[in-house]
Amino acid sequence: MQKIKDERLILRNLKNIRIAYVIQTLGIIAILGYDLVTKGIGGMTNNPLWFVFIVTTIVSALLSMNISVEHESEKSSPKKGLKISITVLVLICIAAGIIISLIDGFNMMNGFVLPGIFFICGFFPIYYIYHLRKKREENFEDK
Amino acid sequence: MKNQLKIARISVDLTQQQLADKVGVTRQTVSLIEKGKYNPTLKLCLQICYAVNKTLDELFWLEKEEWENAKN
Repeated sequence: MQKIKDERLILRNLKNIRIAYVIQTLGIIAILGYDLVTKGIGGMTNNPLWFVFIVTTIVSALLSMNISVEHESEKSSPKKGLKISITVLVLICIAAGIIISLIDGFNMMNGFVLPGIFFICGFFPIYYIYHLRKKREENFEDK
Repeated sequence: MKNQLKIARISVDLTQQQLADKVGVTRQTVSLIEKGKYNPTLKLCLQICYAVNKTLDELFWLEKEEWENAKN
């Protein structure tokens, strides 16, 4: 097969891929929905499609950050945003740690490990947004 | 968008296929550009201009009134 060089066809090809992606996602949601109804939530999450669905959702969310950062108003300072986000994240993690260690069946260790996971999972997108905002600020010629 | 591509192409004695081969697109794309049904990128516009020995404004320029009418 020849490589497509025509810009119009490249664009159309991307639109076709988008349609295929939408159909595929609807299919996955339908299968997972069926599993949820017939086997319950455990049966649904055991399906390998669940992993595929979660990974694609995360990738899609990260990629859409790229667009939402460029869409937001120019005034917000990246460092200020990073500080606020990290503060909120740390507060959430501390609150989660206290609540988890108070619940029966969880010990102090869980109270440290789970908020630690929350922090790592939250820190990555926050830092990515900071990186995107900083990059946008550098590309902004007027400053 | 309306343009002068068809006249320019005929004036240099090129067929749609020959022009398409020169600029590296398909004949359908050239046809759609001529009909004003596809807006090419600036890069493709320039390639077309070089192929038919015209400037950008000679091929793809619309007066403000024409532009306003084309939008409505």
